[in-house]
Amino acid sequence: MKRLGNQLFFTGPTMIFFSIALLIPFVYGFYLTLMKMATPVSPMEYAGVENYLRAIRDNKFWDSMWLTIKYVGATIVLVNVTGFALAYLVTSGLRKQNFFRTAFFTPNLIGGLVLGYIWQFIFVRSLPTLGEKLGVELFRLGWLGDANLAFWALVIVTVWQSAGYMMIIFIAGLISIPRDVIEASTIDGANSWQRLTRMTIPLMVPAFVITVFLSLKNAFMVYDLNFALTGGGPYDSTKMVSMHVVQKAFIENNYGVGQAEAIILFVIVAVVTGVQVYYSKKMEVSG
Amino acid sequence: MRKTFVSVLVLLLAAVLVLTACGGTGNTTAESNTNNSTATNNNPSAVAEDEPVTIIIANGKGELTALYEQAAKDFMTENPNITVEVHTGAVGDSLSVLDRLTSSGVVVTLAMVEPNGVLEKYKDFGIDLSGERWVEETNDAIKNAEGTIVGFPFSIEGFGLVYNKQVVENAVGGSFDPFSINTRDKLIALFDQLQASGVQYPVAYQTEGWSVSNHYSSQFLNQAEDPNSIVNQLKAGTFDLASNEVWNGYYDTMDLLASEQYNKYGERPIGQYYDDAHVSVGKGESAILFNGNWAFDSLQAVAGDSFGFIPVPVDNNPDNPLNNKIVAGPTNIYIINKDATPAQQEAAKKYLNWLVYDEVGQDWLVNKAQVISAFKNNPHKVTNPLGAAIAVAIAQGKTMPFSTNYIVPGDWFSILGPEVQQYIDKRKSREDLAQAIQSYYTSN
Repeated sequence: MKRLGNQLFFTGPTMIFFSIALLIPFVYGFYLTLMKMATPVSPMEYAGVENYLRAIRDNKFWDSMWLTIKYVGATIVLVNVTGFALAYLVTSGLRKQNFFRTAFFTPNLIGGLVLGYIWQFIFVRSLPTLGEKLGVELFRLGWLGDANLAFWALVIVTVWQSAGYMMIIFIAGLISIPRDVIEASTIDGANSWQRLTRMTIPLMVPAFVITVFLSLKNAFMVYDLNFALTGGGPYDSTKMVSMHVVQKAFIENNYGVGQAEAIILFVIVAVVTGVQVYYSKKMEVSG
Repeated sequence: MRKTFVSVLVLLLAAVLVLTACGGTGNTTAESNTNNSTATNNNPSAVAEDEPVTIIIANGKGELTALYEQAAKDFMTENPNITVEVHTGAVGDSLSVLDRLTSSGVVVTLAMVEPNGVLEKYKDFGIDLSGERWVEETNDAIKNAEGTIVGFPFSIEGFGLVYNKQVVENAVGGSFDPFSINTRDKLIALFDQLQASGVQYPVAYQTEGWSVSNHYSSQFLNQAEDPNSIVNQLKAGTFDLASNEVWNGYYDTMDLLASEQYNKYGERPIGQYYDDAHVSVGKGESAILFNGNWAFDSLQAVAGDSFGFIPVPVDNNPDNPLNNKIVAGPTNIYIINKDATPAQQEAAKKYLNWLVYDEVGQDWLVNKAQVISAFKNNPHKVTNPLGAAIAVAIAQGKTMPFSTNYIVPGDWFSILGPEVQQYIDKRKSREDLAQAIQSYYTSN
């Protein structure tokens, strides 16, 4: 009983806030998916699984889901590769490396919305001006008007924003690698490439578990950047799944279906990240 | 260990549930209180004039946030027994402040919604306002499907081809009457004149989804005396867009606006060009864009104040009324909640009358908020040049209905917006677009 009191004392406040901010809205949100609301101000009626059926039959939902998966794939690879490269660079004894660490991390401190508008300006005004001056055909027309280029614009800005954050995690991983292991491999005649691929990266799996998990989750849930940079355009070609859900619920006033799609998205993300964490944990070198 | 954890969780959940339940009962008591007061106030004569009452207003048009507070303060000084609580939705917020307040259990007294909302989304929300004095001062009171007046027109807005006066006058060499452009050929001639005067791209055509679909693509509805009749035919599947001359005419003009020859973004017409287009026209690098009176907020940031509206030409017949009028009509509509108490409803009506008849209210609406009043008795004129241009056009009878009020803006934006953009980008043919619009109407 005393233990229970202790636990309540220490975990209680967190649990209460967790419940208020996450658990209750989630349960209530799930409850809403079983209801039908004709208008936001009309009373709810029980509708069973109808909202889920309509969500599953919504082709545009699956289109945006597929697009999001492509985006997830592109950003996971690029964010982690860039983040790791930056971390490797700033721990390799470079002069002014602390300055670089701060510089690479800074973009992460800017919110997605602001970032989106800044980069919109770059893609719509700065790059075309540069392209015209320097005669670079690729930059001459705004990127946000072409379906493929707009997608890559999103990826580039995402990498720019989150690579610095992943870099910090990688730095922690790099520093924690025991020096003697690296020294021993050097004495055994491993060159620097071999040291990187055979020693450093296998020892850094715990860091990768975290960074892949974070970039996976962030990419699946992206909304602010999507909204501010491309607004889903041109003609919905960059509309990620979160944006589709928001539009379904709040612009087309389809609360039940939108909420059901959000739950489906949650299940997919939960399963994918769960599988990722489970399997990559197995790859960790047990120390 | 695990067991205690679970028990803690259960305990906490129980505690939270009790707490929320308390909140719930708190609400219900409040509600039953108001119900009681409704019961006692049922007899209107029993309502004392100066009995204190609080009304809650949910506003749109987020750019006026500070001004709404000012209006509430001024109104409260004159009506000390009424307390006004103002909530305003932020610019660009997808969820309306009315929905948010309603779903958290607040009974909003007076709500600002879009005209279409009065007929569709909030069709069961409002009370009958046909007995109000202000009805005789306006032509723009909003009626519900049964023809009863339920909506108070807060503002008049309009759209058309916004032009930079300085640049255009420089090109034509002297004063310019925007209504002289009443055929498509005359518009082309103007573009050519502009190019000859050194403006490489006369048009900066911004192609946001809401602009090209909700605004531009609804204009063809004005070919009928009552735009609703075309909407009804579309719903019944008896209106063929592809063979309709006016519908095609508007897209012929759109092709011109988006063309590589005249449009700054012609080579890649879709993109995030809203800001850039307004900067270009504001600075005078381009001369014309398609937008409404609210464009002045963006134009003003970069340049002076000489802007006006050219009607969007649909064909080459100078006598066609569509070529000689700009689109303008009521856009932000106040409705009074039928679930509010009679005392609150009376106070809300008082607030509306204050906007129409009180000198301070009249001054606030037009001079401070720069809103074009829908009421004939308001002596003030807006100074914002695009607003002033609309006010003049209204006075001269050169306006036609705000066609966007006859469509469901949310649907058109998210379902048809991308279709129109694909048409502009030449990824879909005009037949595809006609098909998309028709099937939107027949499948819903």
